[in-house]
Parts: sequence; C-alpha cells; structure tokens
Amino acid sequence: MPDIHQSVPKIDAKEKISGRMTYVADMRYDDMLYAKTVRSSQAHARIRSVRVPTLPEGYHVVDHRDIPGKNVVKMIFDDWPVFASDTVHHVGEPIMLVVGPDKRIVQTLVDAIVIDYEPLNPTFSMTDSVVNYHYDKGDPASAFKAADTTVAYDYETGYQEQAYIEPQGFIGTYDDERIHLIGSIQAPYYVKNAVIDTMACDPDAIRVVQATVGGAFGGKEEFPSLMGCQLAVALNKIKRPIKLIYEREEDMDVTTKRHPSKTRIEGAIKEGRITALRIHIGIDGGAFIGLSGVVLSRAIIAATSAYTVDNLDVSGDVYKTNTVPNGAFRGFGAPQMIYAVEMFFHHVAKHLNVDVHDFRLKHLAKQGNHTSTSGLFRDPILMPEMIERACAMSDYHTKRKAYANPEVYKGIGMSWFLHGCGFTGSGEAEHIKAKIKLEKLPDGLVYLRVAAVDMGQGAKTTLMKVAAKTLDLPLERIRYENPDTDLVPDSGPTVASRTAMVVGGLVARAATKLKKTWIDDEHQVIHEQYVQPDYVRWNQDTFTGDAYPAYSWGVNVVEVEVDKTTLEVEVKHIWSTYDVGQSLDDNIVLGQADGGTAQGVAYGYLEVMRHREGKLLHKNMTDYVIPTAVDMAKTTTELYNNPFALGPYGAKGAGELTLVGGAPAVALAIEMAIGKRVHAIPATPEYLMEVLHHAND
Amino acid sequence: MVSHVIPKTYAEALTVLKAGNHRVIAGGTDMMVRHRAWAGLPPLFDKPVLFAFTLSELKYVKEDEQVICIGAMTDLETLLHHERTPALLRQVIAIMASPAIRYVSTLAGNIVNASPAADSLLALYALDAQVVLESTSGKRILSIEKTIVGPGKTVLHDDEMVAEIRIPKTRFTHTMFRKVGGRRADAITKIGFVGCATVNEGIIRDLRLVFNAVAPVVVREKSVEALHVGHSVKNVLSDTDTLMHHYSEHIKPIDDQRSNQHYRKEAALRLARHFLDTLA
Ligand SMILES: Cc1cc2nc3c(=O)[nH]c(=O)nc-3n(C[C@H](O)[C@H](O)[C@H](O)COP(=O)(O)OP(=O)(O)OC[C@H]3O[C@@H](n4cnc5c(N)ncnc54)[C@H](O)[C@@H]3O)c2cc1C
Repeated sequence: MPDIHQSVPKIDAKEKISGRMTYVADMRYDDMLYAKTVRSSQAHARIRSVRVPTLPEGYHVVDHRDIPGKNVVKMIFDDWPVFASDTVHHVGEPIMLVVGPDKRIVQTLVDAIVIDYEPLNPTFSMTDSVVNYHYDKGDPASAFKAADTTVAYDYETGYQEQAYIEPQGFIGTYDDERIHLIGSIQAPYYVKNAVIDTMACDPDAIRVVQATVGGAFGGKEEFPSLMGCQLAVALNKIKRPIKLIYEREEDMDVTTKRHPSKTRIEGAIKEGRITALRIHIGIDGGAFIGLSGVVLSRAIIAATSAYTVDNLDVSGDVYKTNTVPNGAFRGFGAPQMIYAVEMFFHHVAKHLNVDVHDFRLKHLAKQGNHTSTSGLFRDPILMPEMIERACAMSDYHTKRKAYANPEVYKGIGMSWFLHGCGFTGSGEAEHIKAKIKLEKLPDGLVYLRVAAVDMGQGAKTTLMKVAAKTLDLPLERIRYENPDTDLVPDSGPTVASRTAMVVGGLVARAATKLKKTWIDDEHQVIHEQYVQPDYVRWNQDTFTGDAYPAYSWGVNVVEVEVDKTTLEVEVKHIWSTYDVGQSLDDNIVLGQADGGTAQGVAYGYLEVMRHREGKLLHKNMTDYVIPTAVDMAKTTTELYNNPFALGPYGAKGAGELTLVGGAPAVALAIEMAIGKRVHAIPATPEYLMEVLHHAND
Repeated sequence: MVSHVIPKTYAEALTVLKAGNHRVIAGGTDMMVRHRAWAGLPPLFDKPVLFAFTLSELKYVKEDEQVICIGAMTDLETLLHHERTPALLRQVIAIMASPAIRYVSTLAGNIVNASPAADSLLALYALDAQVVLESTSGKRILSIEKTIVGPGKTVLHDDEMVAEIRIPKTRFTHTMFRKVGGRRADAITKIGFVGCATVNEGIIRDLRLVFNAVAPVVVREKSVEALHVGHSVKNVLSDTDTLMHHYSEHIKPIDDQRSNQHYRKEAALRLARHFLDTLA
C-alpha cells in the first residue's frame, strides 16, 4: 500500500453520490407506525391537564407514565426528562408521542390534544448558574498587582445550528422481548446506555444500530439518546415497528445548538507583555444541563488558545434558561473562547499601539511551555513555520498595510489556534475506556468491530486504511459495517476529534497483533483497549495537568471586502495551514478543512439564530442562513507533518480543529475593513451598522 | 385532500377558473412551500388547484416596437437567458433563488405571490410593467402598482389569471440594482433597490427609484421622482437630504428574523444616495 496520506476514493462515496444509499427515513417495515411528538408551547409552565381526544382503534399516546425506569435521559449530567411530566421548561419540550398507522390521522390527533398550562416565570437571561468551574495557573493576583496597566474587554457569540443535511430520526422494532433501534446517531452506546436506564432492563434487551448518517457535527451526539428513549418506551408499549423522523423545522426548533456565550477578559500588562489574564465565560445551557458542563470545561481550558500566559484566573458558568437545551457542536466550547482570546490579543496590541503580529508572536506557545492548566506541551510545535507559510500564501503583511487605509473597505485577519484531541482530562481513561475488536474470518476478510460512526467525515475510509496498511492487505479485504451494539464493543462516541487518533490507534495496535499471529483459514479475534499514556496526569477538581494527550494546531487567514454602502461582507479567500500530526488521507483531511472553515467562518459573520421569549426565530434553511457554494470563498490549505507517537501513523485530530479558528479570522478581517472593533459575532451588516454609528474606534 | 386539474389548453384553464374556486399553480415554488405538510403527505391546499405550468401557449417572449410581452408560464431561467428580456430584469433574475428553482418558477408567480420582498418586482416597478389579467369574460390590463395592493394581496378576481406581463422598452443612461440578502444566493431579500435614470448634458430627464422589503408593498414614489426631473444632477446632489427625507416617509421597514428596521432603512437610503452619486 502506498503512503497512508495518499488519497483513495472514499469507500461510501459512490453509493452516496448516486443516491443509492439508504438512510433511516428510507427504511420501512410492514405494519409500521408513525410517531409524532406533542410539544410544549410554553417556555415555563406547570401542566394542569392534558386532554387527549378519543383515540381511534390502532392509535396510541405514549408519555411519562409509560416509562418503566427513570424519566431521565442518561447523559453526562442527568437532568433531561424523556417526557415532561408536570412542568415544562422550554418551548418545544416533548410531552408525549402520538403513534399510529396513518400520518394524517396522527397529525390530526396531535393538533387536537389540548394542554392546559399554568404559566410560571421564565428566565431568559444568563443569571441562574447551574455549573461553575474555576482554575488558576501561576499567581494571577500578584501579576495583576505588579502590572503596568490592565485592559478589559467583553465578547459575545450567538447560537449556531449544526444544519446537518439529514434531520434526526430513528426507526425501531420490538422482537422477542428485545428493543431494536436504528438511528442517525454519532454514539451508538450513548443511546444504548440511556435506553437501558429508561427501560430499567437487561442490557441484552437493547440493540442499537447506526443507520448511515447524513451529517451530524455534534448534533447527533447526545440528542438522539432522548429520541431513542422515547421510541423505546413506545415500542415497549405498542410492540410494533415505529418510525420517528423529525421534519426540518421541528429539528431546528427543538434539537441542541452551540451555546451562546459572553466572555470578559481582563489582562495584566507589564513591559509590553500580557503577564496575566482573568477570564470569565458564561454559556447559555438552555433548559437542561446535559453536556453543558463538559462544553464549559473545554471552553475554559482553551483560555489561552495557542499562546502561553503564565498567570491565569479562569472561571466559567453554565446558566440555565428556559430555552431549547444547547449541546455538542464541533469545537465544543472552544470556538467561543478562541474567538474571544484572539480578539483580545488584537485589541490589547491596538490599545498598546504596538504591532499586532509581533505582539502575538511574543506570546506564542512553545514546546516545553506549560499549558493553560499547567500541563506540558511535550511535542514539537510547528506554529512559527505554519504562521510564516500562511502569511506568505496570503500575502498577509503587504495586505494588512494596504488595508490599513480606511477608504478601501478591505481586510485581512489571521487566527492561531489549537485543539485538544480526544476527551478532556481523564475522560478517555475513566469514562470511555474504549474497546475494539478486530475479527478475521476464515475467508481472510478482516472486520473492524468498532462503535465509531462515519457521518460523512470519512472515518470508515481512514480506519480501514490504517488496518489495511498495518496488515499489508488490499483495502478490499477490510470490512467496516455500520456499528451494531450486538456486534461491536464500545469504542466510545464519535466525538471530540478522537476517532482517528484514539480508535484508529487501537485499530493499528490490533492490526499489528493480528499480523504477528496471522494464521491462514482461521477465525481470529483480537481485542484492544485504550490505555492512558503514563505521563498524562489530570486533576478534574483543580483543572490542573494535561487536559489532552495531544494537540492539533492551525492558522487561518481570511480576506474580506465590505460593501461601503450596505456593509455586506464578502469573503474573498481563506488560507490555512494545519498540523494534524499525520494525514490519514489527504482528500479527507482537506474535506474537513474546507467544511470546517466554511462552518467556522460562517459562525463569525453569517449564521444568525435568536429567540424571542424562548421561541426560536430561525427554524428553517430559509431563515437560518448558512453559506451556499456562491458564498464560499476559495480555500488554500497546506498540511504539516508532525507525527504524534500514540496516534496511528502519527495522526492526531482533524475534525474540530478546522472550525475553531474561522470566526476570529473573519471577525478580525472585518474589523480591519471597517476600522472599528468587533466585539460580537456573527458580525452581520446589521451589527456593523450599529458599530459604525456607536463605537469609537 | 383537494382535487386538481391539469388543463390541456389555456381556454380550458380559463373555463375551469370560471367557477371561481380554483387556485392557479405555476411553478409551485411558493405554493408548495406555503402548503407543505408532514413529509410523505400531500400538500395542504385549501382549494382545488389548477396546474398551469404545462400550458405551452403561455410560454413565450415576444416583442413589438414598444413592448416586450412575456407569457405567464415562461420560467425564470428561460427569461434569464432570453435576448429579449430587458437587461435590468435579467440582472434581477440572475440573483433570484438558485438554478433549480429558476427552472420551475415564473414572473407571474412572483407577482401574484405579492411578497414585499419579491425581487422581480423591483425591475417590474422600475420599468412600468403592465399585467394582463384574463378570464372567460375578457382581459384587463393593469399597471404593476395597481395589481398588487398589500402583502400577498392582488386585485385578481377568483376567475382570473395572469396571462402576460408587458414591459415597455425603455433606455436609461444609468441603472443600478442591489439586493441585500442574508447571503449571495438562495436568499430572501432584506432590502432591495433599483435606480434608473437618464441624464442628458447634466440634466436629469428620467429618474426612477424603487425599494422592496421596506414597506407592505414595493415603494416607488413617482411624485417624488417628478420633482427632480428637469433639474441638474448637480442641484439634486447638492441637496440629497431633502430627497432622502421624502423617501424616509415611505420607507417603513419592520423588524423580523432576517433584519431590523434600523438597518433596512439606513441601507435603503444609502443605496439610493449611492445611486444618485453615480449620476454625477
Ligand atoms: C428555495 C427558494 C428560493 C427562492 N428565492 C427567491 C428569490 O431569490 N427571490 C424571490 O423573489 N423569490 C424567491 N423565491 C420565491 C418563488 O420562487 C418566487 O416567488 C417565484 O417567482 C414564484 O413563481 P412560481 O411560478 O413558482 O409561483 P407559484 O408558487 O406557482 O405561485 C405563486 C402564487 O402565484 C399564483 N399564481 C401563479 N401563477 C399565476 C397566474 N398565471 N395567474 C394567477 N395566479 C398565479 C399562485 O396561485 C400563488 O398564489 C424562492 C423560493 C424558493 C423555494
């Protein structure tokens, strides 16, 4: 097999492009019923009564009284009910399912159900903290005391919707006392474990199979557990195949999104350097905590992004509001923080009236430096050459001089960033404990038994390549079917930029073992389990130590032109350099790069989502504006090799890295073009008009 | 579920409409969205529907000395590439929707849908387009302004349909079209502007300023325009504030999920001012 980075056709490309691929919405069974969710119209209210019309023969309602086990969806923090019982906490909260054979009648019944609410006081502001984290590095108090000067700025980010092309959905059957769920999901075992708790049943009674996923971006990490639990309760009651597929508007209205955030950063400056930072980030968790605490962890750990600052006082809160719960989204808290930090470094340099580029370079993290959480950057950091290359490709320095003229309305912005690969802290070792199996059949075909999901990102192709190359077999001899919890061990959810590095690492190790012990015509099974590298030490209570075993690094340069009259922003070009350790397939990594920067840059200037009194205003693809091909700028991307010892062939994470730097790069470019500071994203023309009228510099 | 008719001829279509209870579907790109139902169920039409998109008699672009006549079922993509389509209208169509939608949507649909944000209306208002309405009892020819009376409201009778759109041939020395949408394709207009003018030896001979998405109907104030015709560009430019003041009264945008009043109003006036600046 040629070098691992050389691209092969993605193994699922033909079926997908030709339209032959089957998604969960395409599946059907004889006797199948359709489910539709009855939802709260109130942001916060007590349910006084629910009046269900007389149900025709063969139609059912399913609600919290039908749950055999706990009425809570098992996530990281278990506070999210499967069905609302006496109180609703956000508009769109599920109250019951209506199930039956004819969609028209199901819809009529849904419309005829009358819920009597006693309104309660809703909260929409970020005031009610439900999670609070704090950590220090060094001695921030002394550094602030000794400072020549201090500067503080505030930053805000809005919602972001994953906007996967395929809405959420499941189909389920009930056979032989077993519940079998097939869904568009990122984490088969999250669903299985949640359903076991809700059903209070034997683990063997639940089988979860991943259907081909049409995009996820984190949106199918924890939310499908809720749907899976609801469907399981319905299957247990009705014992017929049931389909539960969301419509686009329903999906956008009720599923998890990126947390809106507010960040305040205060810097202590001495002799032209930032000696300490005091940072507080607040994120809007919505009505239930779910994963928000973990999102907050990643956000606060990203506090210094690609820089080193010796003294830190970092804290954060998750606030509960009566809005749709927010959750996992590519980047997982890091995009909010990295946006704020990158803007802050620029704003401080401007305040000090020093060259921004030199000022940033002074603070760039180096191998051997301590991370924000006092861990160690052990591996080489290629940022200096990656930055220089990105500047050369984009002609950054010439352009930033030329665009300093406020008349030209052009701007160029650059962001530097890192992304921790894998679960935060001891997550891999203590919570996930990934296991995989490599199974060789007598005919010589090798099956990857992993729970990792290919949601379009190319996991199947890359993991199969790792196995094929290690075994020295042609790719055709490797098999990787959509995970089925009856067949695959729990290798963890497909999240946190962990799949290539962690699961791929296990595949490489198993393949090495299989190769050594290979016996022709025999059925052989190799098991592997994740072992945390010895040197990784993490204290979750104090947030100190190595938050991640490895980091991927990146540089984005974005050039924009702003229309003088309307302040519309046109993104002209995006240049990027990335260190993802070792690319396992160049086209796949470049695909992640294009998609990630598209999503990250759009987060910074284009994608607007707001709510009014807890009701989302943007709930279809007309109103929630993501870039089209016409909006997408040209991209130029170069990859750097910097192999990580424990990743397969040196691979680190690539999935999230490519998103996290987009927003600050475009915001900085816009800032240069209009000559005013951008403190909030998305930097829409409406926002820029306001800034032009009210801001001073 | 409602019934539907697919007429073979235009005459048959008019006869079906005579009963007064059918709704016309041209391309359906507004109708199908508005009446969408749970996937897999038929659309939720409130009245029987008449599918008119297949009427080849209404697919044409003709012209005489003065007027270009566009058959009501001509799709936008055809218009985009047709050499007889007025340049300004072509410019507008080029940024409407996306190719897939343009192949199955019509000017007539854009008119009768009567959205204050409809794009083609900018050009049709600026070019003094006329709409030919027809029923079994005859034809009515109305100006575009008289056709549309409010958001989603037209003066069409239940038995009438749009047969043709007529656009007088006009030459201008200056035209400008700008659509501000949330993005560069497939976007609903936040605010749109068309300016047309003829300037001769420094004197404004013709001036037309049209705004959409800033009021319940498209804004074109012929009386304000007339005040400036016959004046020198220099004069007009020396006091754009007065002109802007006139428009200020008519530009009354709303806050919605796509934009806000403040931005809409300011962007609209800035575009108009920018257009006037180009006349110098
Ligand atoms: C993805 C997408 C993008 C879009 N982008 C844009 C855009 O950029 N700009 C824009 O302005 N619009 C846009 N639209 C809206 C729509 O495409 C246009 O309004 C289009 O011109 C409607 O034409 P149609 O033939 O599809 O109308 P239909 O949906 O068939 O009809 C619309 C209305 O007109 C009536 N009607 C149609 N023809 C006649 C007739 N001959 N006589 C009487 N009544 C008639 C119908 O009864 C209905 O009330 C978009 C729509 C979609 C789905």
